[in-house]
Amino acid sequence: MGQFKTSYAKDMVIFPIRQDRIGVYLLLGFALVLLPLMMAFHVPPFRTDYFLLAILLPFLILSLAAIGVNILVGYCGQISLGSGAFMAIGAYMAYKFGTGISEIGLPPLPIVFAILLGGLSAAFFGVLFGLPSLRIKGLYLAVATLAAQFFFDWVFLRVKWFTNYAPSGSVSAPELKFFGYLVATPVEKYMVALIFVIVFALIAKNLVRGNIGRQWMAIRDMDIAAELMGIRPLVAKLSAFAVSSFIIGVAGALWAFLRLGTWEPLAFDINRSLELLFMVIIGGLGSILGSFLGAAFILIVPIFLTVLPAELGIPITTGTVSHLQNVIFGGMICCILIKEPLGFARLWQIGKEKLRMWPFPY
Amino acid sequence: MSSMSAIPTMSALASTSEILLAVENVTLRFGGVTAINGVSFDIRKGEIRAIIGPNGAGKTSMLNCINGFYHPQEGRITYKGETRQRMRPYVAASQGIARTFQNVALFKGMTTLDNIMTGRTLKMSANIFWQMLRLGPALADEIRHREYCEEIIDFLEIEAIRKTPVGRLPYGLQKRVELARALAMQPDLLLLDEPMAGMNLEEKQDMCRFIIDVNKTFGTTIALIEHDMGVVMDLSDRVVVLEYGRKIADGTPDDVKSDQKVIDAYLGVSH
Ligand SMILES: Nc1ncnc2c1ncn2[C@@H]1O[C@H](COP(=O)(O)OP(=O)(O)OP(=O)(O)O)[C@@H](O)[C@H]1O
Ligand SMILES: [Mg+2]
Repeated sequence: MGQFKTSYAKDMVIFPIRQDRIGVYLLLGFALVLLPLMMAFHVPPFRTDYFLLAILLPFLILSLAAIGVNILVGYCGQISLGSGAFMAIGAYMAYKFGTGISEIGLPPLPIVFAILLGGLSAAFFGVLFGLPSLRIKGLYLAVATLAAQFFFDWVFLRVKWFTNYAPSGSVSAPELKFFGYLVATPVEKYMVALIFVIVFALIAKNLVRGNIGRQWMAIRDMDIAAELMGIRPLVAKLSAFAVSSFIIGVAGALWAFLRLGTWEPLAFDINRSLELLFMVIIGGLGSILGSFLGAAFILIVPIFLTVLPAELGIPITTGTVSHLQNVIFGGMICCILIKEPLGFARLWQIGKEKLRMWPFPY
Repeated sequence: MSSMSAIPTMSALASTSEILLAVENVTLRFGGVTAINGVSFDIRKGEIRAIIGPNGAGKTSMLNCINGFYHPQEGRITYKGETRQRMRPYVAASQGIARTFQNVALFKGMTTLDNIMTGRTLKMSANIFWQMLRLGPALADEIRHREYCEEIIDFLEIEAIRKTPVGRLPYGLQKRVELARALAMQPDLLLLDEPMAGMNLEEKQDMCRFIIDVNKTFGTTIALIEHDMGVVMDLSDRVVVLEYGRKIADGTPDDVKSDQKVIDAYLGVSH
């Protein structure tokens, strides 16, 4: 029996394949040690803060949001067009908790708690707006989540309480003091985002390969059979909405505090929702890795489209760039939905399988 | 299927044992269509009970009533001595009723192992916070239930496809995985809807063997819908025959086989 135990435990570790494990450790070491060192000493591409602030930081935070979206859409099969709204709830509620809620005599909370409470608030509304999913599916659910998006756009624009009655309507993040340590430089912001991403990616990975994750996927693949196995649709769907919105809310708070600093509701509009949805479709529905790949792709393409023609001396306007971008994303999503519904993550897996057998494919 | 006839049936045992499930005067309508019309029968603990009948007779609908997926307009269903009104399918599952489907209803995006593990859902108790960490009770759950699932995997001889996404498996194997998933629930009553449809002879023989083994080794009561008469006669202790939603015969395979109504019902239907 003991023998069994160890062997199954071994078989169930997070990355059962040795190469994967080594790869992940290398990546973590790179992200946690080497990159910050390079940033500190301004080694290219970190000569200016551009690469860090405009690419790496957004990549990390949007990957986190994409993980949240993927849990709902990719793992539980519940389509959502309201992710931007849940980012906004995370951001504004983290702001409220971070600056104190005088009406109930709540003093400004430490920033980490404010961010987590922002996530919790998003989870609460996620569950609320997830309730229709118990009755409706597919397109109708998409419309219901779209309603959430527009509703919260309106709320944060019009309900002045959320912006502490700022006349301009825009708000600024409270002082970024993490456990007494003031986070100010881009490198420090990067480290904070990275730690959040690592922790939540790990939690997400643990959930999706455990009991609750199997329930989500069962509901996604065949909800009737799932119910006959004793899975309660109510529990499975609403827990997916809760976990997903929580992670998206935390990402929203990080986006507001670390990336934007000062923001308006426009930062979390429908475009953000669509962008996140594209990320998980292109990266891979039902894959944590895919969330990262999708976020990277969506961020890199526009930069590529701007830089490459400039390097080649081809004149290109920003208008053309954004049109081209839409064409590329649209085309890719069509291809992926038709040919390889599991996105980049699946291609990566196929590639690995091929490589493992190479050069003797037997 | 002559090889099967050597297997002894358990009718002697079944006729004396207690009633696990009783269906009384059940009528189920879909708009104008009466799928089941005043049907009564019972299933005894430990037996293999076959439900047969021509296409559209209402066999699948009957299973759907038993596990709470359809709610009959009239009649009563008593399970483990408890008469129930309307119940959700997951309640039936939690009371020990498992089933397989006529058209395979596996979770296509998941591996064989994960499909079977879903059968253990009701037996897992670690809360979501432990699951986030995958430590303590959550890890213990995973390991303990993995062990149980591995026993079923060995039993059904599907070790090689453990990690394969079920969508990629051939039909015969998918049916076997579906049986494994139902067995993982450790059911008291197992409902099998045409478990051998679309299989070749060898696969059918394997499946027959598994069904008998499940019944013998785990003592699981089985209700079986099957079109292959040879299989039905070999496997089952008692047979109920439906036609156009009505029960036309009920008894041992030999009784049923010689019943004139049954012969008439099957006349012209090739099997
Ligand atoms: N959900 C439903 N809505 C409407 N009619 C239904 C529904 N389910 C079953 N029926 C009808 O009820 C009758 C019995 O169907 P059922 O599927 O139970 O037959 P069956 O005995 O399982 O047949 P088969 O051997 O073809 O599987 C049929 O006339 C069918 O059209
Ligand atoms: Mg049927």
